[in-house]
Amino acid sequence: MPTGRVRIENLTLRHDGDAGCIDALTGCSLTLAPGSFTALVGPSGCGKSSLVSAIAGFLAPVDGHITLDGRRITGPSPEVGVIFQQYALFPWFTALNNVRYGLRQFALPRHEERARAQAALAEVGLEADADKYPEQLSGGMQQRVAIARTFATDPRVLLMDEPFGALDAQTRAQMQDLLLDVWHKHRATVLLVTHDVDEALRLADDVHVMSRGPGRLIRHYALSQPRPRTLSHSGDALLQVRDEIFALLRQQIDRPADLST
Amino acid sequence: MSEPPDHIPSQGARRRRSPTRARALLPLLSFVFVLGLWCAVATSGVVREIIFPAPWSVWSATVEMWRNGTLQKDLAASLSRAAVGYGLGAALGVAMGVLSGRIAPVRVLLGPFLSLLRPIPAIALVPVAIVWFGIGEGAKYFVVSYTVFLTVWFNTHQGMAYVPQVWLRAARSLGASRLRELCTVVLPAAAPHILAGLRLGVALAFLSLVAAELSGASSGLGFRLQEARQYVRTDRMFALLIILGLLGALADQAVAWLGRKLVHWERA
Repeated sequence: MPTGRVRIENLTLRHDGDAGCIDALTGCSLTLAPGSFTALVGPSGCGKSSLVSAIAGFLAPVDGHITLDGRRITGPSPEVGVIFQQYALFPWFTALNNVRYGLRQFALPRHEERARAQAALAEVGLEADADKYPEQLSGGMQQRVAIARTFATDPRVLLMDEPFGALDAQTRAQMQDLLLDVWHKHRATVLLVTHDVDEALRLADDVHVMSRGPGRLIRHYALSQPRPRTLSHSGDALLQVRDEIFALLRQQIDRPADLST
Repeated sequence: MSEPPDHIPSQGARRRRSPTRARALLPLLSFVFVLGLWCAVATSGVVREIIFPAPWSVWSATVEMWRNGTLQKDLAASLSRAAVGYGLGAALGVAMGVLSGRIAPVRVLLGPFLSLLRPIPAIALVPVAIVWFGIGEGAKYFVVSYTVFLTVWFNTHQGMAYVPQVWLRAARSLGASRLRELCTVVLPAAAPHILAGLRLGVALAFLSLVAAELSGASSGLGFRLQEARQYVRTDRMFALLIILGLLGALADQAVAWLGRKLVHWERA
């Protein structure tokens, strides 16, 4: 029985902005089924990142709550892995030691910790680069180390905030395939925040579209097409969803943010 | 939610060019030039020897002080004061900077003092130190360590604010405890700032050391400088100044070298 059920109930998040407190998100409810892959798309400033911060335990909700397998999330924990857009590798550690960082909590014997970190790097195809420092690796390779580091601890939930946003298109496509690959082996519950609609459609089981000012979930699409998906070959259903999402997002851009509510 | 800078410094490419031969010789060339100029001025007789001694007079004054053993004694006295004062001040400064930079109540409590105490020149502390510690070693340790402490504290404190939030978040979500986060993320991330403070501290240590030795000491380079003034031994004064300069430069280079070794991930 896989675990990793995330339940978000009536969540309101607030931001300290220049103009005082701004609601980043209001009355958001959402359940992530164990082992599911959910994507959030929406215009910038719609609170997608705040939602990720809240599930990761970095940001305390103003109202409502989030539970993981029935237990309330009150702070960061290794049960909830996070992959950041900026890779967030520690530049003073080698790739291997970056991966070992998260394994330390298990207090494994040294050689076993090493072996597990090596295996995690091998999963992302970087076994030969274990002793390199982040600055010696390309952006795509750095993000692969970050993926290895997060999956190595087998978190129940994996949050990704624009993980491939800084990569070029070709590398991004490779990384998406790699991510699916690693995810199939580990089966964590994934929540992916992205501004790239095609990325959401290629990867996720569920795509939620958000509105901004304050952020709300406005539309949900359940996708059942088998992965890996190539948008041009997945038939009209996916392309129709894509058109609808683009139309929704266009409305968002035309409509000024409503800050009074 | 306050938003510390989210950028990650210096993810750029490695830029470690080994200096070419010509580049390494350049400072040497400038020394030779200045020394040549000094010799020329001295032989021309434009300036009186008592005001501006010739290089050879300064050299023989150095040899003289070495022969009669005062130079060794002064070096030992000054260097041990600098080392003890520096070590004490640097250690306390880093500890204090971590506390005031990371713990909000401590920051609120001590922040104003940091900005109030910093502008007070080290020399202004000497009279107070003499009242408190007499003219013994205690006063010198105090003046040096206090000066170093303030600078290192300030820089460490500043450095804490520049620890990118994303690293802290990554560490916490990878299960790191507060202590582990401090040792493996906060300190390395702030290391460039801390080292900048440690390097500034070296310069200030010599500055405050000489200030302390000039007024009320019976040994040390600063004391000898004062003594040379009483006997109008300009040659000795110049010798001592040059030695102070060399020592300061050497200590600075040593800390810079240590910094490059420790913070190996930051490009030099």
